[in-house]
Amino acid sequence: MGEAKPGDWIQCDETGKAMLSRVLSGRPFIIPVPPLHRVPLRLGNVVEISGPSNSAKSQVLVQAVVHFILPKEWGGIHVGGMESKAVFFDLDCRFDVLRLSQILTHRITETCGSIGQIAFDKLFHDCMSRFLYVRCYSSSEFLSSLKELSYQIQRKDETVGTGLRLLLIDSVGSFHWIDRSNQLRGLCKGKNISSQSFQEAIVHELHELLLLQPLLVLATKASLFRTETPNEYQRSISNCTGDRNLLFREYMPVVWQSFVTHRIQLNPSDEFLSNGSEPIWSYTSEWLQPSVSMKDRFIVRDDGIFLT
Amino acid sequence: MMDAEEEDTKSRLAPDVTPNRRLPWFTGIELLSDTNQNKHFLPTGLEGIDALLGGGLRQGQVTEIAGPSSSGKTQVCLSSATHVVDRNFGMVLYLDTSNSFSPFRISCFVNQLHPSLPKELKETSLQTTMSNIYCQSVFDIFALLDLLHHVETTLKHTLGGSKLCLLIVDSVSSVIAPVIGGKNSQGWCMMASVGVLLKRIAYEHNIAVLVTNHMVGGENGTLKPALGESWKGIPHIRLLLSHGTGNNRGTATVSKHTLMASGRTANFVIGN
Repeated sequence: MGEAKPGDWIQCDETGKAMLSRVLSGRPFIIPVPPLHRVPLRLGNVVEISGPSNSAKSQVLVQAVVHFILPKEWGGIHVGGMESKAVFFDLDCRFDVLRLSQILTHRITETCGSIGQIAFDKLFHDCMSRFLYVRCYSSSEFLSSLKELSYQIQRKDETVGTGLRLLLIDSVGSFHWIDRSNQLRGLCKGKNISSQSFQEAIVHELHELLLLQPLLVLATKASLFRTETPNEYQRSISNCTGDRNLLFREYMPVVWQSFVTHRIQLNPSDEFLSNGSEPIWSYTSEWLQPSVSMKDRFIVRDDGIFLT
Repeated sequence: MMDAEEEDTKSRLAPDVTPNRRLPWFTGIELLSDTNQNKHFLPTGLEGIDALLGGGLRQGQVTEIAGPSSSGKTQVCLSSATHVVDRNFGMVLYLDTSNSFSPFRISCFVNQLHPSLPKELKETSLQTTMSNIYCQSVFDIFALLDLLHHVETTLKHTLGGSKLCLLIVDSVSSVIAPVIGGKNSQGWCMMASVGVLLKRIAYEHNIAVLVTNHMVGGENGTLKPALGESWKGIPHIRLLLSHGTGNNRGTATVSKHTLMASGRTANFVIGN
């Protein structure tokens, strides 16, 4: 009742142009690092990086960390980082901090040229203090540290809660076998905790976290199971192209698969680029979701990932 | 009254976080200083392999050496044990699954290290070396898990830090391989538990872990390391050994490394 006219219902709230500018300023596109550069990413996206062992997945994560923790500019020089915090959940427990400091050092010397030692140390120190790291040795530790993180964000805690833009998970499938076996044995006391419900709880926590604070989530997933070997014809085709296009079976539950918004697959390539005496291994990357028909090739050097 | 309100908001915000169980967050600076102070490189005694590893076996990391039979895996383990003890890095725990531990070979390596000492000093140095290497036989995965849990508990409760710095499992694949495979996931779960335990012991107590693995047939008739794809995610560093020309020579290839590029090879010589 009242004096609302029917015409008011079809009045627009904002024009498309106004909405686009609001969304782009609130959640701008992140200039991504290779090999993630083909698809524009924004805060709130969940990217799953999958691939067999030794396909440079963790290197991609380290590269993204360096991009996020560098400042936008330093002492008048444009550095081009995101100047925000990144939190790394190491479920695989294989993170090497020396590799992070190696890439960061190279990037600083590359962009800032020759700055004095004191300035370099200060910049390095500032960047490294924006990087936060947690090791988890089981799914329950991971779940409790996620809850702790959302608690700290709600409390706007100094160390963790403010300025967080990037969340990395190294290997969501690390505890796959342990959780699955515990599920079959019905091991946990009290509630019947199964692998499915751990994953559901983890996805639920991540979802709540993304509602609290917009983050870009990068998760690696080790491809454990190959599909049945393709027949001779398919194998001969893949031998011709020189890339091993291995097909892998999905083992993460449906709740995780529907949480992920982007998927990219990395593979080690058979082709070696020989640079003098030593062969350099190269890797290929292919976007599965959204599906891009081009494959990129990249190498990993001491100072990071480079496309070839 | 303010306290009660505060308590109320706290419990509403964080219903499942128990206040005592807070996981530590490390910043990059803390991680770096911990690595520089506590995680050193332990020498294997074989120059080619030390160069490939960037200095030696790193404390806090799990290194895997895979290779066909008699490619030198046990020799690398024995040599590392001898050199680590000889240079006073600490004690070594050698878990032997195939009765391959040989005190005779240890004494050969010690003789090689100090060729010019008089006989009594050699005897004492051999005694000291032997008393710092603890050897234990394990023949199945349950005994291995038991022993690793026991080691972890002992390390946690040793006051003043323990002196153990190197843990060798030769070979881990011979206890894991019989239980994996097939449709049952129990075996894979035990393998994953061994992996998590080894990594936890390595990192929390600053110990270098060295494991050996054998080879099985892969596609196209090539050999590949045993224990499958899931095991590949456990060691930090993987080396592949192969026979070289002549006796006591071998070639090592890096198939995974956290700091350096894969694919580099080096030759090594196992002395007499």
